[in-house]
Amino acid sequence: MLSYILRRLSHTVLVIMAVSLIIFFSIRLTGDPVSIMFGAGEPSQQAVEELTAKLGLDKPVWEQYIIFMKDLFMLDFGTSYRSNSPVLDMLIERAWPTIALALGGMTVALLIAVPIGILSAVYKGKSIDIFGRIFSLLGISFPNFWLAFMLILIFAVQLKWLPVSGFDGLSSLILPSIALGLILSGILVRLIRSSMLEVLKMQYVTTARSKGIREWLVIVRHAFRNALLPTVTFVGLQFGGLLGGAVIVEQVFSWPGIGRLIVDSINQRDYPVVQGGIILLALLMIMVNLMVDLCYSLINPKIRTGRGDN
Amino acid sequence: MAVNILEVKDLKIGFEQDKKDIAIVNGVSLQLEKGKTLGIVGESGCGKSMTSLSLMGLLPSGVDWQNGDIYIDQMQINKKSKKEWRNVRGKKIAMIFQEPMSSLNPVYKVGSQIVEMILSHEHISKKEALQRAVDMLQLVGIPRPERVVNEYPHQLSGGMRQRVMIAMALACGPEILIADEPTTALDVTIQAQILELMKDLQEKLQMSIIIITHDLGVVAEICERVVVMYAGEIVEEATVLDLFNHPLHPYTQGLLNSLPDIETEQEYLPSIEGVVPAPADMPAGCRFFDRCEYATGKCKNKPNLFTTNIGSTVRCWLYESGELIGGM
Repeated sequence: MLSYILRRLSHTVLVIMAVSLIIFFSIRLTGDPVSIMFGAGEPSQQAVEELTAKLGLDKPVWEQYIIFMKDLFMLDFGTSYRSNSPVLDMLIERAWPTIALALGGMTVALLIAVPIGILSAVYKGKSIDIFGRIFSLLGISFPNFWLAFMLILIFAVQLKWLPVSGFDGLSSLILPSIALGLILSGILVRLIRSSMLEVLKMQYVTTARSKGIREWLVIVRHAFRNALLPTVTFVGLQFGGLLGGAVIVEQVFSWPGIGRLIVDSINQRDYPVVQGGIILLALLMIMVNLMVDLCYSLINPKIRTGRGDN
Repeated sequence: MAVNILEVKDLKIGFEQDKKDIAIVNGVSLQLEKGKTLGIVGESGCGKSMTSLSLMGLLPSGVDWQNGDIYIDQMQINKKSKKEWRNVRGKKIAMIFQEPMSSLNPVYKVGSQIVEMILSHEHISKKEALQRAVDMLQLVGIPRPERVVNEYPHQLSGGMRQRVMIAMALACGPEILIADEPTTALDVTIQAQILELMKDLQEKLQMSIIIITHDLGVVAEICERVVVMYAGEIVEEATVLDLFNHPLHPYTQGLLNSLPDIETEQEYLPSIEGVVPAPADMPAGCRFFDRCEYATGKCKNKPNLFTTNIGSTVRCWLYESGELIGGM
């Protein structure tokens, strides 16, 4: 198992190389940062050249890439063009809110989707199933920014129970987590329902019943445990998506997340921040994937014991 | 008179379609004597598996209704609450299934699956239950049982898994074992071993067995009495010797004729023409009418089960008088 993890981590280096190559060149297609930094003013030719040289943008692109990779190897992500602060510090500052929001959103999604998904499958065609169907349809169709605004209106503005925006302790995490989680749970309910229906047909579920054990044990211990496999894959993928892709919800709640930082930096052509941010997201994504695979082997003994069905 | 450990009276199972009740099992009555083996034979879809699942109280979700009475050890089980049913299931009556590959849960160790069964019926410690699991595995002839308890189902062969299933089913010492096609999915040599094991255990543990199969070879091997089912009804019941020596119902004769004979050279293997009618459009009279070569006008009326002078019962107008017809 340890050698497997080490082998996977060694792949990480290759992935990061590839990601850095792509992001380094594609961000340079967005335009010249210097022209944006002077804003609406009419800078002198000399000032432009000086700034370009200072940022190291006067060198040939391939040379810039080598410098970038050298620094990266020393864990130096460079300095932000805009704020002049080290990119690494900016990223670390943003990483926790990002992870907290992704975890919060996923927790909400699972808390809602697991019980509804299981009950919809067990009581297929009954009222709980119909409720689950409507719920997931709404979850899938509502745009999450709309839901975010509604949540703010009701719970922050009207009822004043929770803060409107910002990242300040657990209470500020609740609304954005719900906004993300509700939307996600829409799809998750359907996924859990369908994999539960699949598993409930299996012979071993009948075997479990034939043993005379309690019905809820049959459902949870024997059926749901097996229905977890496809769910874990999906949750892992979505979790990766939440890390970088929750930009809209981050925007609505003024959440200091990495997604928003990257979008702002792209708009300002702040190359080092974009490069560093994307590489950090890639790293997080790789970690999540590794964790999903480790969960897999925990759930499925066939993978752990390394032997297939004969 | 022998004691019946299991008695089924006029069992009907069905579903609802277009506001009409459609029976898939139509008035089945069975008796199982203590310590004996009863075979239920019939082709796919004749209702034999439904009958056996209903004895466990495990009818699948598509089934809408069930009538009739089931007595296990003189107790009318189908009138009991769900909880009482559950306490009987696994304890007094246990079941093994056709597919040993899929009947064990792939994510739990063999031992813990047996332990779970024991602990749900008996108040003993986990350690004692695990020891019992090891003993049971030993009893069903699994080598190195103390290692196998810690293995997962996929690490075992099909025959081993079926042995594990048997060990699990017998872990609480049930009086009745229902075996639904226990050997169908196994290699021929393994089939023989499993049947041998079941016979052996039956003697050791004094249990009664219902074996559901479409394989007359299995019936000949292990059963004392046989019930032949066709389209949800019992068409013949006899001792195993009578069934093979004097098959009465045209359907039973057809089944036996379609067995290859090792002593005569046969170019064609006879088969029964036609298919079983769908539950929704059963003929009003004899359900075998469309496929029967002896069918007469009388067969448009529903035949009863007639008792013949050799003791077999048969649902066919040919035996209305109770006399065997010459040459059969």
